[in-house]
Amino acid sequence: MLLFFHLPALTRTLLISLIALLTLVGIMTRPFQWNEALIALAGAALLLVLGLIAPLDALLTLLHEWNTFLFFLGMMALSALAEEAGLFDWLAAQAARLAKNRASLLYLNIFLLGCLISMILSNDATALILTPVVYVLVTRLRLPVLPFLFACTFIADTASFLLPVSNPINIIITSRFPLDLFTFLRLLFLPSLVVIGINIGVFFLLYRRQLRGNFDLKRLPAPREAIQQPAYFRYTCAVLVLVAVAYVIASALQAPLSLVALSGALLLLLGALFWRRTALRELRGHISWPIFGFIAGMFILVQAVEGTGLTAQFGALLLHLSGNSSFGAVMIGTAGAAIGTNLINNVPMAVVLTSALHTVQHASLAVQHGFIAASIFGCDLGPNVTTVGSLATVLWLLILRQRGVDVSGLDYFKLGIVVTPLMLLAGALTIWLLVSI
Amino acid sequence: MRILCCLDGTNSEPLSKAAALFSSTEPLVYGLLYVIDIEPRKEIERTRERFLRHPSGPPGPRERQMRQAEQFSARDILDEGLRYFPGAETLRREGRPEREIVNCAAAWNADVVLILPRANYGEKPAIGPKSVGHVARFVLDHAPCPVFLVRPLIREQFPIAR
Repeated sequence: MLLFFHLPALTRTLLISLIALLTLVGIMTRPFQWNEALIALAGAALLLVLGLIAPLDALLTLLHEWNTFLFFLGMMALSALAEEAGLFDWLAAQAARLAKNRASLLYLNIFLLGCLISMILSNDATALILTPVVYVLVTRLRLPVLPFLFACTFIADTASFLLPVSNPINIIITSRFPLDLFTFLRLLFLPSLVVIGINIGVFFLLYRRQLRGNFDLKRLPAPREAIQQPAYFRYTCAVLVLVAVAYVIASALQAPLSLVALSGALLLLLGALFWRRTALRELRGHISWPIFGFIAGMFILVQAVEGTGLTAQFGALLLHLSGNSSFGAVMIGTAGAAIGTNLINNVPMAVVLTSALHTVQHASLAVQHGFIAASIFGCDLGPNVTTVGSLATVLWLLILRQRGVDVSGLDYFKLGIVVTPLMLLAGALTIWLLVSI
Repeated sequence: MRILCCLDGTNSEPLSKAAALFSSTEPLVYGLLYVIDIEPRKEIERTRERFLRHPSGPPGPRERQMRQAEQFSARDILDEGLRYFPGAETLRREGRPEREIVNCAAAWNADVVLILPRANYGEKPAIGPKSVGHVARFVLDHAPCPVFLVRPLIREQFPIAR
């Protein structure tokens, strides 16, 4: 145990950096298909065992991030319980009904539905729950499936900075750098609309040939068949409206959003138990518990790196590259966040950035806001560059193709590499204009 | 003569018109093939992995619903095909369409494969290098028997530039 030995600062820094680097490489490559949570926790455990971070510091770091942990829990529970009520199926069926049998109109409706769900229930709900629902819908309607799936997976991220609750990344960043609702909306709402517009426009252009046809609504069951317990469905809708209003009020008052998410989830759970729509065991199965281990591991790891002063130097570098101007802050922040999210995952990148951005607190307000808004924007939208996951996945697919294995994942990557840089540039420029006002 | 017709949900009618052109001293035996494409489901799995949700445990209700939708759609498309090819043998496969088609053509001992250049969802047919989709292109390159590529009638786009 190195805890009991005095280590020179340089050795300590090198050891921490090495462990952090190995952990990040492990997360990128996932050797032996290990779960990212296991790798992140192993990195954190190694730091603790070697005494490179004090157990109390690690504990305090985790306790300090309670809002993020509870928000993840509340968000996943809310989505799972809303799914149990049949809400997503009902909304998708309504989107089809309102499309007047036209594939192009259904496509637009799916985009708008994705925006709505991302805004209130976060991008997770759109990407993980709405996507399979839409798959079922378009398969039954005999429409081309891939354009619709891409619409869901892309819009999940594109619409994930409409509100602070639209992406857990926003919570991670705003927990350290609180932005009141007005400032958040002033900096990010218009850029959201701009990139959503670009996303929809470019996708319509790319898939115009597949979207010309009509569909027969009779192939779908009636929307009411999605609802097995009408009373619970109505109750869920009412609770979600309440949660949406509470989110806005809590954001305006800068109250912890996790408490709103958890309260909403608790209300839905009570309803689900009352109407016998779910059991606690079932709900537990819907929560992805390894995510908590992953985030906890990352927080401890970054805390240890922060102790070495490396993240502060990274922040200083970002500030230097930005030339201390709001334009530089937005551009460097967006590019750094977007590249980082594609090298690792957006959760670790957001944690690293929140640590690094402490350095910019001495800069002007415009530069600070530029960096914070750009970090949120880049970490939220960046993952769309490599739609198949991280850059590591893309490299792996490239290797497979070189070996003669035909991998269609690369075709999806092409879509991200074409559309996302355009959205990043347009969004960043809009943020810069808003920061400068 | 064994004729394998590749259905995609949009092409039963043009395939039946093309099949009517065949005449043979031997009886014509039609096979209607529909492949459930697994790529979109792989894409969903990739999305789950990106959001750190790795597959665990047996398939849940949503997974079953997705499978039901695929089976419903496949049945619907094959039934529609049977209206144009009464008495034909129906063949249902799951995988990557281009690979399943050539493998099925070999396994079913097809004498000829009938395929359209690409699925048509209502757009105006066009000539040009992109008029043949990747599935038809792969089948042309890899089929174990002659392939009859049923191009649409587009005489109005001619003459092309010389």
